[in-house]
Formats: sequence, C-alpha cells, structure tokens
Amino acid sequence: MLPAEAKEKLVRRMGPRGYLDRPEDLKLYEYDGSVDKALPDLVVFPRSTEDVVAIVRIAAEYGVPVTGRGAGTGLSGGSIPRLGGVVVGFSRMNRILEIDLENERAVVEPGVVNLDLTLAVQDRSYFYAPDPSSQKACTIGGNVAENAGGPHTLAYGVTTNHVLGLEAVLPDGSVIWTGGKEPDLPGYDLTGLLTGSEGTMALITKAVVRLMRQPEMVKTCLAIYESPEDAGRTVTEITARNITPVALEMLDGVMLRMVEEATHAGYPMDAGAVLLIELEGLREAVEEQVEQIREACAACRAREFRVARTAGERDLLWKGRKNAFGAIGRVSPTFYVQDGVVPRTKIAPTLRFIGEVSSKYGLTISNIFHAGDGNMHPIILFDARKPGDLDKARRAGEEILEYCIQAGGSITGEHGVGMEKNEMMSRLFSEETLDAIRALKDVFDPGNLFNPGKVLPTGKGCLEIRQPALTAAGPVY
Amino acid sequence: MSVLTPSSPEELAALLGGAASQRQSVALGGRCSKRRMAGAVAPSDLTISTSAMDRVLVYEPQDLTISVQSGMPWCRLASTLADNRQMIPLDPPFFAEATVGGVVAANTSGPRRRLYGTARDFVIGMQFASLEGKLVQSGGMVVKNVAGLDMAKLLIGSFGTLAAIAVVNFKTVPMPPRERTFLLSFHSAPEAVKARDRILAGALQPAALDLLNPAAASRVEQQGWVLALDVGGNAAVLERYARELRNVGRWTALDEPEHSSFWQQVRDFTPRFLESHPEGAVVRLSTTLSQLREVVEAMPAPALARAGSGVCYGYFTDAAAASAWLAQAGKRSWKAIMEFAPENRAHLELWPQPGNDLETFERIKRLFDPHGLVNRGRLYNRI
Repeated sequence: MLPAEAKEKLVRRMGPRGYLDRPEDLKLYEYDGSVDKALPDLVVFPRSTEDVVAIVRIAAEYGVPVTGRGAGTGLSGGSIPRLGGVVVGFSRMNRILEIDLENERAVVEPGVVNLDLTLAVQDRSYFYAPDPSSQKACTIGGNVAENAGGPHTLAYGVTTNHVLGLEAVLPDGSVIWTGGKEPDLPGYDLTGLLTGSEGTMALITKAVVRLMRQPEMVKTCLAIYESPEDAGRTVTEITARNITPVALEMLDGVMLRMVEEATHAGYPMDAGAVLLIELEGLREAVEEQVEQIREACAACRAREFRVARTAGERDLLWKGRKNAFGAIGRVSPTFYVQDGVVPRTKIAPTLRFIGEVSSKYGLTISNIFHAGDGNMHPIILFDARKPGDLDKARRAGEEILEYCIQAGGSITGEHGVGMEKNEMMSRLFSEETLDAIRALKDVFDPGNLFNPGKVLPTGKGCLEIRQPALTAAGPVY
Repeated sequence: MSVLTPSSPEELAALLGGAASQRQSVALGGRCSKRRMAGAVAPSDLTISTSAMDRVLVYEPQDLTISVQSGMPWCRLASTLADNRQMIPLDPPFFAEATVGGVVAANTSGPRRRLYGTARDFVIGMQFASLEGKLVQSGGMVVKNVAGLDMAKLLIGSFGTLAAIAVVNFKTVPMPPRERTFLLSFHSAPEAVKARDRILAGALQPAALDLLNPAAASRVEQQGWVLALDVGGNAAVLERYARELRNVGRWTALDEPEHSSFWQQVRDFTPRFLESHPEGAVVRLSTTLSQLREVVEAMPAPALARAGSGVCYGYFTDAAAASAWLAQAGKRSWKAIMEFAPENRAHLELWPQPGNDLETFERIKRLFDPHGLVNRGRLYNRI
C-alpha cells in the first residue's frame, strides 16, 4: 500500500507527466514476459539519478516497496511489484551518455535498449556482445539486474562479463560508483555482486559496458537430424574436438514446424531436430572450423549440413530462432517456458527425460535452447481455459527443473529467479547459503523495500501472493 | 606459531567457526607465495592454511568445467587441464607456488587477459567457509547460472578478508592448436602505442598485448619499447599475423620453446623483481587504453603494461620512491595502488585514494566478520 502522503510527495516530485496512477494505466505494469501478475500503486518515470534518489528517499521514509522496470520483457517476474508499491520505470533514462571506442567502452543509462547500443556503434565495426532474444526491446538496466544471456554468450559470456562499472542508488538513497572504465580496481567487486541481484539491492542508474570489435568473418551453419538426441550428442562431440562456436542453438522437431510455418526461414519440416551453429573470427580460422564442425555433425548422424551462403540467409535462420516464441502463439494459446541448465554432456538424457514428462502429463513440450552451454528452454504448451491444464504445466516444469538440479545443473541460466522460481531455491541451495544471500541483501536493504518477494524463498504464508494468471509470453530467448 | 592445515572444507569451516566463536584472530592463506602483496596481515592468534586441501573434485573434460579444492597448487591445475589440451589462461605470477584459492583471492592475472579475461570471467562456482563455521555455495558447475547472488564475485580479490575459499569451480577453454610470440621494438612510447592502436583497430585478436618500457625490456633480454603479442591459431592464422604485422613494424617471432620461456619471464617478472629487491615495491595503475601512453611514459622505473587491457605495473627499488610516485599519480587523478611492498609495510599508504564505495566494502566486511578477526589489514591496509 502507498500512503496518500507518500503518493502526494512522489507525484509532486515527478510532475504531471512523470507518473501514472490511473487503474487502466497501472494495469499495463502488472506483468512482464512471465506468468505472474501484481498491480503497482504508482508508476514513476525518473529522468535522472537525482530523480531516482528522491523517489527512493520518499519510499524509504514511508516504507513503500520499490521495484525497478526496464521494458518488462523479463521471464521470471523480476519487474513485477509483488507487494505493490512504486514501480520505477526507466524508459525516460534512455540515453547513451558516451561512446568511447578508443577505450572500447560505452556509458549508458539503464533504459537504453540493448540493440540500440550495437546499432549506435556497428557502422564503426563494434558491437555490444550480450544478445538476449528480446534485444530489440529489453533494456541494459534490466539485463544488468537479471544478468541476461543470449545465444552468443556461449563464446562472449553473459552480461556480467561485459559490465565494468555501475552507478547505483542504494535503498537509503545514497549513490555509489562501483568499478569504472579502468580494470582491476582494488576492493570487493560490487559491480559483479549487483549484476544479477534482480533489483533487490540497488537501482542501477548508469552502467559502463564493454564494446567489442566485430569479427572479420561470420559463418552460420544448419545441421539437420532425425533425432534430438543425436543433435544433443553433437554438442559434446564439438567440445571433444576443441572447437568453440560463438553460438550453438538447438530446435527440436515440434519447434521447427511451428517456426517454419510462421517465418519460412528454410528449416526442414520433417526433421527431428536442427542445430544452428555460428562461427566467428579470422577468415583462416573460421573456414577450417566449418569443416571440423561438418565432420563432428556427420559423426553424430546429421542427415544434412548447410552453410548460409549470404547475409540474407543467415539473417533468416536467426529470425526463425529469435522470433520462435511468436510462432508458438499461432499453435497454442498459452505456454510456459523453463530455463534450467545441465552440464553439456547431459543434454541428450535431459531431452529424453523431457519427452517422458511430456507423455506423463499429456502436454506437448517443445525445445529451443542454447545447447552449447546446456541452457535448456523446454516450452510447455497448454490451454489455460482447460481446467487443470495450468496446474499440470507447472508440475511438469518443476519436474524438469528438479531433473536439472539432480543432473548437477541449475534452475536458471539467464532468466533469473524472480518470483517464478524463488521457492525452488531451497532445492538448489542449502539453508546456510540462503541465509548468506539474505544477510547480504540486508546489508544493502535492511527494510526489505527493494523488489521484495524475489530470489529468496518466501515460505508459505509470509507474503500475500496474488493468484497468478497465465498468459502467452512475448518474445523469449 | 603453528599452522593449522584442514584437509576438507568441513574441517576448514569448523576451524574458522571455532576460532571466531572464541574471538581469536586468524591469518588465512594458501601457501603464502604472495606475502608481499597488498597489506600484511596483522599479528593473529591462529594461522590457517588451505594447502592440505588440494584435490580435484570433478573434472569432466567434455563439459569444459573443473572443480578443485582451494589449496591445489595452480601449476598442478594447469597441468591437469593441459593433459586434455584445456586451460584457464590466467597466467598468474608465482605460478609454481601459488594455490588456486590464493590466485582467486588475490585476483592475480597475466598477459592473456586481453582475450580471455580474469578470474571473474572463469569462476562459475565457489564454496566458502564463513566465520560462523558454515559452508556457503555460490553458483555451481554449469557455465551459465543466475540462481542467487553471485557471491563468488565478492570473494575474488577479497584477500581472505571475508571468508575462506574452500572449493572453486572454473570453466575451461580449449588450448589453441599453436601459439607464437611476435615482438616489435620501437624507439619511443608514442610509436609503440600507435602500433598497438593499429593492431586493436584491425581484425587480429592477439591473446596478449604487453608493452614494456626499455628498462623492463632489458630484463627480458629485449631492447627499446617492446610490444609483445601472444597469438594462437592454426598455421594459416599465424601466417596471417606475420603478414599483417609487417605493416605495423619490424617483428621477431618466437616459436616453442622460446615462446613459452619468454612468457614465463613476463609472468614471473614481479616475483623475480621482488626476490632481488627486498625493499622494492610494485605499483599498479588501472587506466584506460587511451591514457596508457601517458602513464607508461611517466613511469621512472621499469614498466610492464597490459597494453590491451589498461593495467600498468611499475617496479621501484624502494618503497619510498613508490610512495612519492603514487602521490604524484594521485594528483593527476590516476587510479593507482602499491600492489607489492616490503615485508614491513604497515606504515605505508598502499591504497591512497579509495572510491566512494569503500563504506559499502566496510559494511560487507562487518557482515562477514563483525569483530574484524580474519586477515586484518590484508586489503591494502584499509580492511
């Protein structure tokens, strides 16, 4: 709840066009790309760090929860105001403050759209590496909060490997700078701690990020298989040959047909699975690696191996991959996507297990995922209008995550824990570890006002948890 | 004073928890190869070394991951991986003596960070023992994992001031099929830096790109301002470097075994210097690529720079000269510390200008170690 006095102060500070409070407007801020919902009491749109400080101070004074929000494309409920309160929308803090190619750095505000940064530097042959599939919409601030990934993180690493410094507003309204353009500053790596902290410890108001030089050559290959397990085995075969692709994505047969019907990217309609494999680097290295990859695929019974001949062909293959979730909407009214991770050598058995779960619950589950780093994205199709279907989908999802944990993996590779998987944290980590996370959060946020109800298990009855409503998600990676 | 050497993470946690519950102060280390790095630990009631915890816990080469106990010597980790043509190319100084936990706790790195990064880019999971006597887990054994806070990041570079690292999980990378060194020598810093800029602006991606001033170059049997590249790839790639680097300057190439012995000299530059200079000090400057030239030129001592990353090391024969130079650097707003100093250094200002995040560091220290018991002063005499 937002006390009237607090609201009045916030509204006065933000000015007439700096906030939303009508029910029909607030409704647009109750959800993200995941399956949960919760209404904020007020949405504010700061323009500067000073605005953010003022908002945080007022919220602290009245004990009001504060939840940061970028574009709302997240997949774990990270930007949903679980306990209501104030949502801080960063859409007006969307300036690229500095592009410093000489030093391979950019300084951005949190509301900058991920792809816009690459677009701003690509004509000078640079790019920003983390590339979540929602990169046309998602923001760098959201990426930092969730430590977002994407297909090319296989070679380049996730967001945390590309963020070098942060300006952060802490829950008491103080502003700190962590890290910077320069490497190896002494002290604790707060940049690394805050990245992926899901907005539970600080609001990011500026980020210093790394820009990378575009590779000279890119080759995109498509390997076609009769069975998903053969495709899964290829991943370890590639590793065994000491080749490192920059992206190694898998789509199973169910997914392929949905994607092809929607995008006509040239994917085979009758295959059991395909691998989309990308290689980058110096011409001399890439040309050799394409041949090595061709051999690895053949050794794992690929029935066909194609190399995109033109940039147009390559773009089409990636369009099919990145728009996959839009394609699902044509087939199933609702779906539920998981983000578990397993060691690369366990991909084939994990796919087999997902098949068993699909049969057990009578739900179609398709797979489209970052095979190269074992980051599974099983998509459970269901009909929310059919009684019991939603519950079945949730249980199927949990069984798959449980399997990932048993296989030595994790419940989330890049989507974050949020309010979707926080209760599962206790299956992955010991009570000692959860206590340590809780204590660290307390150091920053003793009043538990920043994004409450996320990451850590809440325990039954501790929080008012609203009835989740499942809807079809937007673009997902 | 005796040194306690627990043989398992559980034993480590019990020792640490037991000491803390009795308010005993603890000096924590591995094999203490970096005794002269950062601050000296204040005299303590107990010394705990992880050196007996030296096992590989999990290594599945095809997963490109490995989990080891923190007391394992770094060189043994490197050779275990090399048997499978894999590596964790941190190239830390004190390569032969350092433990895995020590490398991570001190966040040491080497030449190939340009291409591969540092400890924060390789650590995928960690288990550490807290002063409450508990074992805490961060991350896991998969290369992509965002479940929970990335607490391992806090421990990297913490110099044992928060907790004791018990187990570290790394991702590994394949070794390149071949490696070669290219050395380019110049008459002046501007020429050398211009050459660096040309390389960085092109398609070539050397793993290492170090710059040595003449005083440093002479210590590795080279002359002039030397730009040293470590490049990896197939024969055609190495040929490409040879061809394109001709446009940058005259080069000499080193293949094995000269290649490895050259980089070993670079990697051991600091240990060798310290050994021959008991009163010597090493300053470390964190800078940008564009400011590096000015920094290297202003160094009145042997200077070794990671010219593709923005870190410059200066080697002073006495700590007073290093302190004076740090004061000058501070006036120019350069971010510098005294990374290595003489054994007796409690009186020295090792970290003259901390940022405004120091207060948060102190709050985190109080959380992990409310009574200030573990590795007091180790974080550059500040924490």
